[in-house]
Amino acid sequence: MGIRLYQEPQLENPILVASWPGIGNIGIIAVDTLRGILEAEEFGEIEPWDFFYPKRVLIRKGVLEYLEFPSSKFYFKRTGGKDIIFFIGEEQPTEVGRMYAEGRKAFHMANLVLDVAEKFKCRRVYTSGAAVALTHHTIKPRVWAVPNSESLIPEIRGYGNTVLMSDIEGRGGHGNITGLNGLLLGVAKKRGFEAICLMGEIPVYLQGLPLSYPKASKSVLEVLSHSLKIEVNLDKLDELDQEVQRRIEEFYQQIPLEIRGQLDRLKHVAYAQPAEPGPITEEEEKRIMEDVEKFFQKRGGGG
Amino acid sequence: MSQGYPITIYKEPDLRRSSLVLGWSEDMGNLGRKVTDYLNWKLRGEEFAEIEPEDFFSLGGVAIEGNLARFPESKFYACQEHELVVFQSGSPGAEWYKFLNSVLDVAEHHCRVKELYILGAMVSFSAHTAPRELLAVVNSAEMKEVLGQYDLARGMDYQTSPGERPTLNSFLLWVAKGRNIPGVSLWVPIPFYLAAMEDAQAQKKVLSFLDERLDLKIDFSDLDQEIREQNEQLAQVRSRFPQIDDYINRLESNLMLSEEENGELIKKIEDFLREGG
Repeated sequence: MGIRLYQEPQLENPILVASWPGIGNIGIIAVDTLRGILEAEEFGEIEPWDFFYPKRVLIRKGVLEYLEFPSSKFYFKRTGGKDIIFFIGEEQPTEVGRMYAEGRKAFHMANLVLDVAEKFKCRRVYTSGAAVALTHHTIKPRVWAVPNSESLIPEIRGYGNTVLMSDIEGRGGHGNITGLNGLLLGVAKKRGFEAICLMGEIPVYLQGLPLSYPKASKSVLEVLSHSLKIEVNLDKLDELDQEVQRRIEEFYQQIPLEIRGQLDRLKHVAYAQPAEPGPITEEEEKRIMEDVEKFFQKRGGGG
Repeated sequence: MSQGYPITIYKEPDLRRSSLVLGWSEDMGNLGRKVTDYLNWKLRGEEFAEIEPEDFFSLGGVAIEGNLARFPESKFYACQEHELVVFQSGSPGAEWYKFLNSVLDVAEHHCRVKELYILGAMVSFSAHTAPRELLAVVNSAEMKEVLGQYDLARGMDYQTSPGERPTLNSFLLWVAKGRNIPGVSLWVPIPFYLAAMEDAQAQKKVLSFLDERLDLKIDFSDLDQEIREQNEQLAQVRSRFPQIDDYINRLESNLMLSEEENGELIKKIEDFLREGG
């Protein structure tokens, strides 16, 4: 089990941008969209068989032709100055019955990704995922940024539409990032890489739906492209977002009026600083969460 | 993964050029367990090795089946006179690649296995009175040619639908291909109303092929008796319950039943067979 590099490109001060699927596929859509826009070239992969169960088989005239596994691929793009290495994992290497990677396999995969980063003398890593938030799907999602070192905080404060955990009411600077999008940040710290995880906000009532949430991917990508100092056209994400918003609206109309009324109030949540009183009290927030949970329990798990 | 070697060998078998028959102990119609048990019984298979469970099975307690506590077992048996290795195991829930390679490590390094036969059952919507077919998926064109002389359906086209995953049998066949071990995955369709029970005819179909292919010279008179008894029991259900007879008649005419009718047929047959007729 290991890494297969098809070529060893000459890269200048590369930055690694990595993502795996997660809630709303926010991170992976952001990273994959950027990879596509920049036409990054595939140059390697992590061999899959020890991490994954196969995803597809082709049998032709009684002969097993091939077995396909979830991919974990590396791409590169020379941008002149700060080149980019992309890593895109099609699945997280989960244990049975788990949604996100954890434990030995996850740690091993995170290290393999960083082995490649190290080989190309990369020192900065970005990962991306979702931040489940009390927000509304009609509101532009913010990006929650979590660095793995104190020294990155001033830089993050300069990003637009971005908050640190300490800026989020009731969090006190705490939280956790599940799965490999978070774990990579920690393993990077252990190995001396600076790393930032950018998480696009997804409304709490959408987290269980089998829908992507490109509106948040766009927010992430705006921050990421600013940080990487590259300009990208995000029209494609807007088109995808319009389609998804239509489906979200259909779902939203199925929510009982009383609960929807509560959720509608989230449209008016100001991006408050912790000290400022928001338009929803703590008690109301609790009630909204309870109502949402009850609704999803009735629907049989929210899928 | 660089964990400990999960194989325990109790006794080195004396095999020169053997074949490996592999059956999963919890598959449809209990086919894998019944066929491997039968081979071990008839050919005096002796247990000689096992794969330790901790890397591959969830060990959060024990399952209870038929009033007994069960523990995952993955055991190898040698039928030395017949150059045959039998492997019977529960289906692993993790580290599949490592598990399948462990199976083939024992096969190659301790048994000099030259061919692999993987047993599997699939659901059929035909009546039990229809003859059982045996479908074969091989991992090389050469193996397909070798099996040309047997009564097998060898022309299957299949690819996984979105949301589905390949079977562990396909995974094993692919791992064997990577190690240059010719292999065949054998699939016998079992009538849906026998899927949770046993299907002696399906067992016989697979065993007859293995008998012919591996020149085992098995006397099947006991299994034939079992088939007769099962057919008699099914005939009794039909005569006692006209509705069930009607359902089976329709299946015999290649007509589909409704979901509700399928459910009723399954329940009546299972209840009847469990009560021993």
